[in-house]
Amino acid sequence: MSETAFGYLLLAIGIAFVLGVVYAVTSHIGSTTTRPHPPRGVHLPNPSALPVIMAVGGALLGIGLAFRADDQPVANPFFAVPGLLVFLYAIVAWVRAAGREWDETERGSHDDTPGH
Amino acid sequence: MATTALSPTTESYRRSWVLEWLTTVDHKKIGVLYIVNSFLFFFAAGILALVVRSELAVPGLQFLDERTFNQAFTMHGTIMIFLFVVPVLSGFANYIVPLQLGAPDMAFPRINALSFWFLPVGGLLIFSGYLFGGAAAEGWTGYAPLSNYSSGVGTDLWLIGLLLVGVASILGAVNLIATIFKMRAPGMTLFRMPILVWTVLVTATLILLATPVLAAGMIALFIDRNYGGSFFDPNAGGNPVLWQHLFWFFGHPEVYIVILPAMGVVSEILPVFTRRPLFGYRAFVFATIAIGFLSFSVWAHHMFTTGQVFLPFFTFMTVLIAVPTGVKMFNWMATLWRGSITFATPMLFALGFLSMFLIGGISGVMLAAPPIDFHLQDTYFVVAHLHYVFFGGSVFGVFAATYYWFPKMTGRRLNERLGKVHFWLHFIGFNLAFFPMHMLGIQGMPRRVSDYAPDAGWTLWNLASTAGAFMIAVSVLPFLVNVAATFINGEKVGDDPWEGNTLEWATSSPPPPHNFDKLPPIRSERPVFDLRHRHDAEHLAADVTVSEGGHS
Amino acid sequence: MRAADEALPISHREAGLPTPLVGMLLFIASEVMFFGGLFAAYFNARAVSFGEWGPPAGAPELEILPIALPITLILVASSFTMQFGVWAIRRGDQRAMRNWTLLTLVLGVTFLLGQVYDYTTLGFGLSDGSFGTVFYTLTGFHGAHVFGGAVGLTILVARARQGQFSRQNHVAVEAISIYWHFVDVVWIALFSTLYFLR
Repeated sequence: MSETAFGYLLLAIGIAFVLGVVYAVTSHIGSTTTRPHPPRGVHLPNPSALPVIMAVGGALLGIGLAFRADDQPVANPFFAVPGLLVFLYAIVAWVRAAGREWDETERGSHDDTPGH
Repeated sequence: MATTALSPTTESYRRSWVLEWLTTVDHKKIGVLYIVNSFLFFFAAGILALVVRSELAVPGLQFLDERTFNQAFTMHGTIMIFLFVVPVLSGFANYIVPLQLGAPDMAFPRINALSFWFLPVGGLLIFSGYLFGGAAAEGWTGYAPLSNYSSGVGTDLWLIGLLLVGVASILGAVNLIATIFKMRAPGMTLFRMPILVWTVLVTATLILLATPVLAAGMIALFIDRNYGGSFFDPNAGGNPVLWQHLFWFFGHPEVYIVILPAMGVVSEILPVFTRRPLFGYRAFVFATIAIGFLSFSVWAHHMFTTGQVFLPFFTFMTVLIAVPTGVKMFNWMATLWRGSITFATPMLFALGFLSMFLIGGISGVMLAAPPIDFHLQDTYFVVAHLHYVFFGGSVFGVFAATYYWFPKMTGRRLNERLGKVHFWLHFIGFNLAFFPMHMLGIQGMPRRVSDYAPDAGWTLWNLASTAGAFMIAVSVLPFLVNVAATFINGEKVGDDPWEGNTLEWATSSPPPPHNFDKLPPIRSERPVFDLRHRHDAEHLAADVTVSEGGHS
Repeated sequence: MRAADEALPISHREAGLPTPLVGMLLFIASEVMFFGGLFAAYFNARAVSFGEWGPPAGAPELEILPIALPITLILVASSFTMQFGVWAIRRGDQRAMRNWTLLTLVLGVTFLLGQVYDYTTLGFGLSDGSFGTVFYTLTGFHGAHVFGGAVGLTILVARARQGQFSRQNHVAVEAISIYWHFVDVVWIALFSTLYFLR
């Protein structure tokens, strides 16, 4: 088996092992979601997929920078362009969500910073 | 088992746990993500350590070639520091600090999640070098000119991955500092904050101010490697020693970033398991702040042998920073003195921290003297020193924190007998692995070598060290078994299984999403202790400050 | 001493700086250190050049005219217009704030275009020795931060269009204005170092 193929096989096993551990740990901690009513004055932001999305966008950008071919001046566009687009989408969506939540708390009660 | 009657009521519904964990902005879940992710990287980097130690056990290259060996120790160091010890302590800070402040969450919950998600992504990028011709192989310190000229994409991936991780830590530091200043519960003045919060505050300040300098250096190295830059290339007017300055200006505060939260953890645990308040709370706070300031003034003690640094200044500042550290040591000793000590597993690891960090600190002060450093620079003596402070210090602190707060996070306490087996195997293995390295360094064995001469006289100590390394690996097994078994069928606990002092013990285990329904009155740095003993002193009026330790 | 069930409900501090502003100030502290690292590289490279410091042979010396000084004045002016916008929204005048911010954005973009044009006249590049490397890295990262600020200003203008700012509620304007002043201060330091200190 070539070295690269061995590397990929190790990676696949590693990922499977990691997912197994994560499943084992988190399915015990997160099996029921409690949503009690917070006391007055406490505002908790909603869950959001934007952090994960932004991290993936940043990773793609980084991969584009690292795997630049000699004839590309700045980065490898195959990775950098999707990365940049994902990253910009995440920033725009984040700002809009933050603005929405800020307005809600302003029009609602006069306490708490909104989700950031 | 004391309860404080502040546990809130809950309703529940089911939600896909994958989505739950991917999109959470709850600091408690994010803390768990940090901790689990960090331990996974710990095991990976630990395996790399075993690879290194297996090769070095006896003279001769048995399993690896030099290049693979170099990748192994580079990845080991990088992953251990940037993807295990700093993030795991960050994870505990994330989980515990808002609770200890009486806050419902961090100041910027979504940015909190962002800070976490950069970690697995950055770590995978760093490791992915192995798939593309070889990972970075210039040591975790990445000195130019070697790192400048090394071919292949491994070093570039290392730089990009670390930049992502660095940005994540800076955002995390902003979050922690803002939370600590803006979201304390009513009554909690700065000098009523738990010591862990103080150490996290100073740590976050160090991260905020030091990491950007590393980022600047790494970007400069990336530019040199990829865009024809000449920051570090002497052929074009650059200066390789500049890399060392930029790296160590970050690198020295980094080691305090690694140790201060662990010191905070130990300072939380000792009072609980000696039934005494921490001795000298204020002195401890000021010592921590002093360490923070001084940590920016000592960086060139890593560069004594370049011949380009002003030795007297850096020697003086390095020895000076031992003073506040010594103050803390005395505070901890005084806390233990005449205490009613319970040797539960968290306490064992805290005591292990005290003894092992003391040894590491002493070897550090030895290295602070240039005449000694000139002989011991880049030898195994330095490897011994750094492992006694990083591992003997921070990692013992990490395990202490794990055993201490596991009940709070999961509602179940880890098994004590397995915990003790883990501790003793870990403690003995650790000393067997790293104490011989002091002797090896003094006898002249250089670090970062894949092989050594059979007639150098180093074989016995290397063999002992390898045995110790495998013993540490074995010690992880009772820990993993303990965690698994406790999740399945462990002893359930209530709010406050250890009779703690600080606010995290004033809510359910685990806490609800908003952390608290009600808070006890906060009149000292031990509000839960005060609540538990509120009927003891009938003459205490509402606004008299309870000062058990002598000051408040 | 009050009993536990009379404990105070949760609330957070209303006094002091608003939390988003604290966050922005801390972030700026980290950016100061980032530029500090780059300035350290500049001064170190200059120190080891032993007198031969400046654009490589064949390229002209750095001159403050016709580009560098005008764009500096434009950027400084944009700080003033930004502050006028902040004062406007503190008075509750959303329309004036929007217009001042838009003007700030225009001035900032002009700065960036001028910087790019300046690059084309310099006669040396990033890979032309240590001076070229530190020059382009410092000015390039500064330009990137101006660009980030411009994105922030655009968001402010867009949100002002939707009527989202008021006298009581405009912390985003304050935060971005502080970031913009920071970017300006860095440029003044950079301009002085590159063109006067040399």
